[in-house]
Amino acid sequence: MSIAPKPQSALLIVGHGSTENPDSSAPYFEHAAEIRRRELFAEVHTCFWKEEPSMREALYMIDSGEVYVVPDFISEGYFTQEVIPRELDLTGRSSNVRGKTLHYCQPVGVHPSMTGLLLQRAREIAPDANPAETTLIITGHGTGLNQNSTKAIRDQVGLITASGAGFAHVTDAYMEEQPFIAEWDKLSPTENVIVVPFFIADGLHSYQDIPVLLGIEPEVGPAASEREVFRHNPHHLRGKTLYYSSAIGTGRHMADVILDQVRDFDLAHGEHTTSL
Amino acid sequence: MTLSARLQSLIDAGVHRIGELEIRLETAGHSFLLCHHLDAEAAGREDFGGLEIHHGPDDARDLSTWSEDGGYRFAKAQTNLRRGWVMLLADIDQLRLALDGFYPAAVGVFAAMLDGTLDIQNLREKLERQTGMYRFARTISDEGAQRLVREVCGPAHQCARRILWRLNDNTPLDDSEASRYNGVPGEIPENEAIPLLCREACNHMVAECRRVAKEEAGK
Repeated sequence: MSIAPKPQSALLIVGHGSTENPDSSAPYFEHAAEIRRRELFAEVHTCFWKEEPSMREALYMIDSGEVYVVPDFISEGYFTQEVIPRELDLTGRSSNVRGKTLHYCQPVGVHPSMTGLLLQRAREIAPDANPAETTLIITGHGTGLNQNSTKAIRDQVGLITASGAGFAHVTDAYMEEQPFIAEWDKLSPTENVIVVPFFIADGLHSYQDIPVLLGIEPEVGPAASEREVFRHNPHHLRGKTLYYSSAIGTGRHMADVILDQVRDFDLAHGEHTTSL
Repeated sequence: MTLSARLQSLIDAGVHRIGELEIRLETAGHSFLLCHHLDAEAAGREDFGGLEIHHGPDDARDLSTWSEDGGYRFAKAQTNLRRGWVMLLADIDQLRLALDGFYPAAVGVFAAMLDGTLDIQNLREKLERQTGMYRFARTISDEGAQRLVREVCGPAHQCARRILWRLNDNTPLDDSEASRYNGVPGEIPENEAIPLLCREACNHMVAECRRVAKEEAGK
């Protein structure tokens, strides 16, 4: 779904980024480029926690007086509730910072439209797998820092189970907390298993760490952009047929989810179509 | 005044360099040409001296992601921008987008400094507001922090930024190549360049402060 043009406003997409793996920030730039092409905002920028521009310098790049800030993050958690507000000097849903009005939107991963993207991704990577004979695992990082970080995934499991998509079993699994993704075969009552990483980028976790936990790779390999051989589904492992997807955030439809969050902000907090 | 207009006025006043980039005017029907400053002579030839040609600002991120030797340039002010290309830009807005790709926010930060509106955060304030795993960085000693500036910052460690911050209001950085650096790589007058500015310690520096703080605490 699209939104009305905001020619007086800027869009600022906030990502995590990495000092180790440039693939981590690639989707954010792609989402920004896609939205820039649609000419809905006066300016579209990205900023990062681990890369440049940092959140601390992002406002120096922006001319517009009104800025929609969308965390291109997969869940509510430590980054969206602590780090981003702190780094951008946010004081509430709308804040005045350095003479600009910043509107803080919800992270992309908690938007209801993510359910459709997950189901679409599952169909794409395993078109021949009958859902009634297939387990769908949505996998994330998991952390002790903030209990909300797994909520988005648990919510999606509930929504997909209730959606009538017909999977034999749908479950969540994590790298660092139970249920562990390393035990994917024990979590799956069926022979067919689809694993979709609930991450924005095919960075360190979804492209390098989780394949080792699944057993696809014997050890942590090079980054996606440095590999010469691409992986092919399905993988026949542990007596099962495993389909492993790229990170959910790498799809071009994520640009629509960013715009959905801007629209939902306006619906929840009133229209902000002009510069304040 | 928009940032594009500010950039144009800087160029009109004789600025032609930012970081390792040389900005050339009115080349082969394009308003601006960007290249590595060490490629400027080849870029001035009619056929661009065989340099790889890029049209528009979109490739700025790709060109600035990897160094010549294949290293990942997560800090964009690293002094290892790869050579061998020119970028042709149609107008000042394209130039600004390209510069924000190579040196994110550098034009805006410099404009804010000229206006007297640049916020500078000293290292102690920066460390004090860290949370999570970086909270421990605040325990670093002054001596440890001063040593890290010498060992992490400045052109000897591939960072081309001019450091504007101090340890705290009363404690300037010790004199060193890193603390003296003017943010302008290459031998040109300062008024011909937009300097790369460091208005607060980067996250790499914060991570290093945490590492040293742990060592100091014997952990």
